[in-house]
Amino acid sequence: MSAATIQKKADVLVVGAGIAGLQASLDLADQGKQILLVESQPSIGGRMINLSKVFPTLDCASCITTPRMASVAHHPSIDLLTYTEVNKIERVNGKFHARITKKPRYLDETACIGCKRCEEACTTYLPDEYDHSLGAKKAISIAFTNAIPQYPVLDMDECLLCGACAKACPTQCINFMQEPQEIEAEAGAVIMATGYNLTEISAKKQYGGDKYPNVISPLQMERLLAPHGPYGGVMRPSDGKIPDSIAFVQCAGSRDKSLGVPYCSRVCCMYAIKQAMLLSGSLPIADITIYYMDIRAFGKGYEQFYQNAKAMGIQFVKAKVGRISEDENHNPILRVERQEDCSQPEDVTHDLVMLSLGMVPAWIPDRDGIIPLEIGEDRFVRSVNEKVTPSLTSMEGVFAAGTMTGPKDIVDTIVEAGAAATEAANYLRRQEGR
Amino acid sequence: MEEEKNTQSQENESEEIRVGVYVCHCGGNISDVVDTKAVVEALKKKPNVKIAKDFVFMCSDPGQKLIIDDIIENNINRIVVSACSPTLHETTFRKALTRAGLNPYLYEHVNIREQDSWVHKGENEAATAKAIRLTAAGVEKIARQDPLEPIVVNAEGHVVVIGGGVAGMRAALALFKRGLGVTLIEKGDRLGGRALELDKVYPTEEKATDIVSQLENAVRSEKLDVRLNCEIEMIEGFVGNFDVQIRDKDSKIDKVRAGAIVLATGFDHYQPYEGEFGYGKSPVVVTLPEFNKLIADMPQSDKFTYKGKEIKNLAFIHCVGSRQVEGVHQPQADGRVNEYCSRVCCTATLHTINKTLDKFPNLNIFDLYKDIRTYGHGHEDYYEKASKRGVTFFRYTDDSIPEYAPSPNGSGATLTMKDVLTWNEEVSIPADMIVLATGMVPREISNLVGMLKLPTGTDRFLQEVHPKLRPVELANNGIMIAGTCQGPMDITESCAAAGASAAKVSILLSKKTIEMDPYVARVDEAKCDGCKLCLAECEYKGALFMAENYAHVNPALCVGCGACVAVCPPRAINIAGWTLDQFDGMIDAISMEELEPAMVPA
Repeated sequence: MSAATIQKKADVLVVGAGIAGLQASLDLADQGKQILLVESQPSIGGRMINLSKVFPTLDCASCITTPRMASVAHHPSIDLLTYTEVNKIERVNGKFHARITKKPRYLDETACIGCKRCEEACTTYLPDEYDHSLGAKKAISIAFTNAIPQYPVLDMDECLLCGACAKACPTQCINFMQEPQEIEAEAGAVIMATGYNLTEISAKKQYGGDKYPNVISPLQMERLLAPHGPYGGVMRPSDGKIPDSIAFVQCAGSRDKSLGVPYCSRVCCMYAIKQAMLLSGSLPIADITIYYMDIRAFGKGYEQFYQNAKAMGIQFVKAKVGRISEDENHNPILRVERQEDCSQPEDVTHDLVMLSLGMVPAWIPDRDGIIPLEIGEDRFVRSVNEKVTPSLTSMEGVFAAGTMTGPKDIVDTIVEAGAAATEAANYLRRQEGR
Repeated sequence: MEEEKNTQSQENESEEIRVGVYVCHCGGNISDVVDTKAVVEALKKKPNVKIAKDFVFMCSDPGQKLIIDDIIENNINRIVVSACSPTLHETTFRKALTRAGLNPYLYEHVNIREQDSWVHKGENEAATAKAIRLTAAGVEKIARQDPLEPIVVNAEGHVVVIGGGVAGMRAALALFKRGLGVTLIEKGDRLGGRALELDKVYPTEEKATDIVSQLENAVRSEKLDVRLNCEIEMIEGFVGNFDVQIRDKDSKIDKVRAGAIVLATGFDHYQPYEGEFGYGKSPVVVTLPEFNKLIADMPQSDKFTYKGKEIKNLAFIHCVGSRQVEGVHQPQADGRVNEYCSRVCCTATLHTINKTLDKFPNLNIFDLYKDIRTYGHGHEDYYEKASKRGVTFFRYTDDSIPEYAPSPNGSGATLTMKDVLTWNEEVSIPADMIVLATGMVPREISNLVGMLKLPTGTDRFLQEVHPKLRPVELANNGIMIAGTCQGPMDITESCAAAGASAAKVSILLSKKTIEMDPYVARVDEAKCDGCKLCLAECEYKGALFMAENYAHVNPALCVGCGACVAVCPPRAINIAGWTLDQFDGMIDAISMEELEPAMVPA
């Protein structure tokens, strides 16, 4: 028997609790607005909490994200729902009605104390999506060390129902029979901050990103570089060898019509440079090469960051990588056509290769439903007044923040989230005046 | 600001000092260099320290919970966190203290990252010893700290926006719609700023003048207080209560009181020096803004004629005045080169190239670039279109910047460079006309920078507090920035920044009062002998004055600089939170001799 539908009311419904959703929520709540913030993942923090350090200041991503996460969690004007899906949002008489489902964590959140005994007792290991499958987690586990909230999720598809977690739990909060909880919410305005996905690593067949263990994605590289990464250091996935020669292949998911991603993803040059710098810090004698088309270091302080990387000895090679293969020891071999020095294509062997994948929208209205916002040719949600009010979507009262309208770095995302908050607040004021 | 106030003062004179020390690993940022466990063990032995712990991320929720639990369960009444710079997280932890019911000023943030682990890599033992000394000093300081209360001032619900360009109008409108009073000050004789120079804008191909009219009409219909032909004469006061003196073109001064200020002072075009790629010496060398103006009204034609001569070959050079390298480029007036990328010029250049080819399809166009940075929505299309239309691209490097040589007949020029795209072949490009893609430099606002002591970066643009934590705020409380005064941006990005600063102003002024940190001078009237030495040192008008034979402080105006403290013979003045007694304790702790043998560097 599922429980009765819960009713909620807020000034603004914010969908997505990555850095854009967190910032927009805080900027509105600090002005006294009541916020309902809904996140589909077990923890708030989005993609950013997954990163190692961030350009161009090299602050650790956690240092920038966790305080905002904590502020949101403790804010008296923010009602936070995690591990919760928004199914549908409709505009009725100028108000938004949302149908929302809180997915079962299979435990009573009001009783759970986050002690992790269940996690310790569990005997089933699964690939850890937080570490992009480089590491393992238990079938019942808290998403990551500084997750908010500190409640585990039980993966019912993989659970053996052995009962070890329930026995270990000091508050008897595990409930294998828990049902989804339906919620209906009413809000005056909506901010969508649904973020991005990386382009598929398998998309470019010539690169074999899904076949070769030592050809990895940028977010996997982030985890290798993170202080609490899966291996506790930079090692390559196939054999744990510490790599001596690391290559970055730029535009491996962007500026490529054959992948359906003709646009530039804006962040890949900078994250590759940042990762290269971090690598050269932790592996001082390693050779690091970045194969690129154009280095797009356009933000504030970014060009200087790029010049510092060059001065550190990171090799920047203007070249196109035609294909990637591997030798019997899983060393990736790059077929490279240089645009400098010599035009003869050559094969270069590296120990580890990172493909600079691009950004695609995580949520596409035409494909995923929820709310019918117009999209552009690039499938990102379209701004109807791009130059003057970039956060304005095709539906009155619905505003967009962050990478759901196009690739964007963290700085631009945070600024745009503030702008979306301003638009939402002014929209509410106009509505009240009517 | 969001925390409910819960600072009941449980403290009294006789209460035992119970310090909790928390050492953060900051992931590995600190713990890879500093032995955090050793710091904890050493601190446990210090007087007044009741609890010492280390944790992976103190700023995370579980980290903050450690502190809150110890305050509530173990009666800890003073907190020291040894972690990153206080500019990052001092406020974070103060809020945690408030949530636990402790006065938020009984908190000391010790920086063992920027000032220790980051600068002592590879010297782990010495870095650990330093962390112990710094943390011990923090303990001594906070042990001598009494509870403080923030200074509360009234906030004027009015905002002065300086600069009537797109960003300024955008911010002013957003603030007005939030219900705040707004005065928009523009130096020129009309609103619109640099956008007025533009024809159509990428990627929407709207006319820039339409964008300006759209905003200007909104400004006019909302009846905002707009002051054209006006400049700032003087700004005094502080957050919540700025007194802004505005001088009009007849030099008449008007005064406006504002709770906050938004700077939207914009940019200037980089002006090439005489002879830079022939600029100023040859009439056929022009900047991109000059070229755009030139072709704006030209009709479509088979021929492009300029100064009576047909132009067949037109060359564009990127990165003029941007991405400069020391030792290669001529320094600017302040001796520095413009290292930064101006962000908009690549797309602006390719946008212009396409527009030029629309009008003059027979032109040969050469594009000399370092990297093509068409990063934004729709930008790449202009690059692709230009390539397809037969524009020839040459890529130069800092080792081979195009060399300009005027033609012998004086009517054109040759550009010589090594082209990376053809494996460093030396190429000579004939150009009947040359367009320089000049970048952005900040508007000349040295009067404001001096008057308000505004922070600027090495790029001379206004410097935000932190690019991610506080991207549209200056260190000066109550002063926000919008648009290109912060750095190169296009119209979309400027408008987003304006919206973000409007949010910050709205938060600041959403309540009628503003709380400020209480770190200001306090005078012990019993000790003050009225010598007035302090008055001569105080630079802040009205902050320090004499009455009843001893010095008085206006806490709203005092910035806590400490100049008065330094000259006071009887030590009668102290900065709250930074008293002389606290400094004595810190110095003793830092210079202590008895370190654990293992901790003393060899």
